[in-house]
Amino acid sequence: MASSFFTSFTHSSLRPTAACPSVQRPNPAVVASAAGLRFGRELSVGRSSFYEVLGIPMTASCREIKAAYRKLARTCHPDVVAENSAEEFIKIQAAYLTLSDPDKRADYDREIYKAQLVSVSGLSSRTGVSSYSGYCTRRNWESDQCW
Amino acid sequence: MAEPIYTVASDSETTGEEKTTSTFPEIAVGIDIGTSQCSIAVWNGSQVELLKNTRNQKIMRSYVTFKDETPSGGVSNELSHEYDMLSGAAIFNMKRLIGRVDTDPVVRASKSLPFLVQTLDIGVRPFVAALVNNVWRSTTPEEVLAIFIVELKVMAEYQLKRPIRNVVLTIPVSFSRFQLTRVERACAMAGLQVRLMPEPTAVALLYAQQQQQAVHEGMGSGSEKIALIFNMGAGYCDVAVSAVGGGVSQIRALAGSPIGGEDLLQNTMKYLLPNSESIFSHRGIDEIRRMGLLRVVTQDAIHKLSYQSSVQIDVNLGNGSKLRKVLSREEFEMVNSKVFEKCENLIKQCLHDARVGTEDLSDVVVVGGCSYIPKIRNLLMEISKKKALHEGIDPLEAAVSGAALEGAIASGIGDPFGSLDLLSIQVTPLAIGIRADGNSFIPIIPKNTTMPARKELVFTTVQDNQSEALIVVYEGEETRAEENHLLGYFKIIGIPPAPKGIPEITICMDIDSSNMLRVLAWATLPGGQHPATPYMEVKMPTVDDGHGWCAEALHGKYGATMELVTLRKKG
Repeated sequence: MASSFFTSFTHSSLRPTAACPSVQRPNPAVVASAAGLRFGRELSVGRSSFYEVLGIPMTASCREIKAAYRKLARTCHPDVVAENSAEEFIKIQAAYLTLSDPDKRADYDREIYKAQLVSVSGLSSRTGVSSYSGYCTRRNWESDQCW
Repeated sequence: MAEPIYTVASDSETTGEEKTTSTFPEIAVGIDIGTSQCSIAVWNGSQVELLKNTRNQKIMRSYVTFKDETPSGGVSNELSHEYDMLSGAAIFNMKRLIGRVDTDPVVRASKSLPFLVQTLDIGVRPFVAALVNNVWRSTTPEEVLAIFIVELKVMAEYQLKRPIRNVVLTIPVSFSRFQLTRVERACAMAGLQVRLMPEPTAVALLYAQQQQQAVHEGMGSGSEKIALIFNMGAGYCDVAVSAVGGGVSQIRALAGSPIGGEDLLQNTMKYLLPNSESIFSHRGIDEIRRMGLLRVVTQDAIHKLSYQSSVQIDVNLGNGSKLRKVLSREEFEMVNSKVFEKCENLIKQCLHDARVGTEDLSDVVVVGGCSYIPKIRNLLMEISKKKALHEGIDPLEAAVSGAALEGAIASGIGDPFGSLDLLSIQVTPLAIGIRADGNSFIPIIPKNTTMPARKELVFTTVQDNQSEALIVVYEGEETRAEENHLLGYFKIIGIPPAPKGIPEITICMDIDSSNMLRVLAWATLPGGQHPATPYMEVKMPTVDDGHGWCAEALHGKYGATMELVTLRKKG
């Protein structure tokens, strides 16, 4: 139960206010508990960086990013996988949108670096992750219309 | 409303016993019903094959004639002459009429066709009728389309010796979701589950397959290629930019408009016979016949102008009126300059939206009936700064072939040679959003967003203690709400009492993998975690007829009492 909960929450937390009822609709309790735990520890457990989503190192070239995206799309796109994989693909798409744009990628890299600095310098990791999460949210919105 | 759920039926519908004996998996066929021509294709196990009718035609005319007891379409029916189609008894160009209201300029332009398109200009569906034995018999574009699809289905079932349940049907980029529901309804009437695919994206998939094949054969480099796809038929002009590599066609932008060969034809007819509209306004049988004569001769002249610089027109329109004229290619291009200008704008807009410069373009693929027109070809070469256009894709078979490929891929069948290791990643052709900030259209899922998609925006109230808000959902690209396509509306209730501008009303839009649109809404106060009332979830479109005056009536009744504005968050 716990693992499936984290999986579904991780996906939905890519979006601004996290709880989108269509995702967790089968179980309203999950919506409620997800919202309640929003700033709790599961953020540090569940969130993976865009690089992790695409399975590439931070040093990956533009060509490698595209290749990784296409490879993942070929296995995770809902047209390929009959089960509900929309969540998974939306996540991959969001990662690709940021990393395939040199400016956005540079911004994103800076944020990751900052977040790392914060946690290294002994501040609570919770603060660090929260600010990173806030950033990430905003980033998704701005990348909406861009390629 | 029929839900656009696409299922591959073979696994779920056959018993375990049948499964083991089944030798032929259910493969969705591809259908391209154009404004003027149509075709049907299927993956035959090793390649895409277009099916032929009993008269050995791969490309058939899109029309349904009502002159006999049972209506028959261009698949089975044989015209004794082109004029047969123009007697008023046949309905054609249904693709330009489906899901449109009588205030639509495209519908008004259809009024000069030989069958009856009656408009009352109030935003309801037009009255469409065929002339049979001196009687105007009413029908609807959906009915005509359904009759036509049934003919194609029967033909394919006979040849493939199996029932057809799933189809991939190509549609114009500019079709609204309301129009898509009409097309789905026509398919449901024909007993088919349908997956809809914008035409240029089908062409892009075919292009992706060709590139992939070239790599397998050691011909291609395998690196990413950016292709500009231009598809112009009789009714619609569509453009796509696709990034193709590794068998994946990733659509980067789409643009489309209801302009096509029909507009070229009508403009040229008006030029050849300037008073033609007044002559034909009465719609007597004689007038219909004369209009048919003019149409055939003009069509013929336009075809010839693709290969020669001028054409001699000589036709007796009856009643002592004769038309004798030499029409040059320059005149034709001048008369239609606005149409070509529009094409140019669409191409430029699509390249801009895709953030692609001409230097990035690997290939320019031009398909559709209008692809033979020199002006179109020159336009594309000029804009793309290319000396040649891509060859190796049949302009008339491209869309249907791509649809058949998509059908095979979606059916989950494999191909030992990897010819089906393909994927088409689609984007939204139009923005979807709500009316807010007065009369503005605020997109929530922008145009050219990769699907499946989920986006949300937060709005707030305009009145103190406002407890309800009207969510009016539109699709389109215009800044004023009412100039877009209305998809539906609902009310969110139980907004917690607070001064205006404080409550947070979240509108979330979700397009799933079967292209179903859901709109979700909930209201909270800042800092609150749980909405005070249950979430609202509405499948769109909900409007049953495309009349924009629903929105007008709502506005008239409720004014600003239930409005929303976008919430600008501090910091």
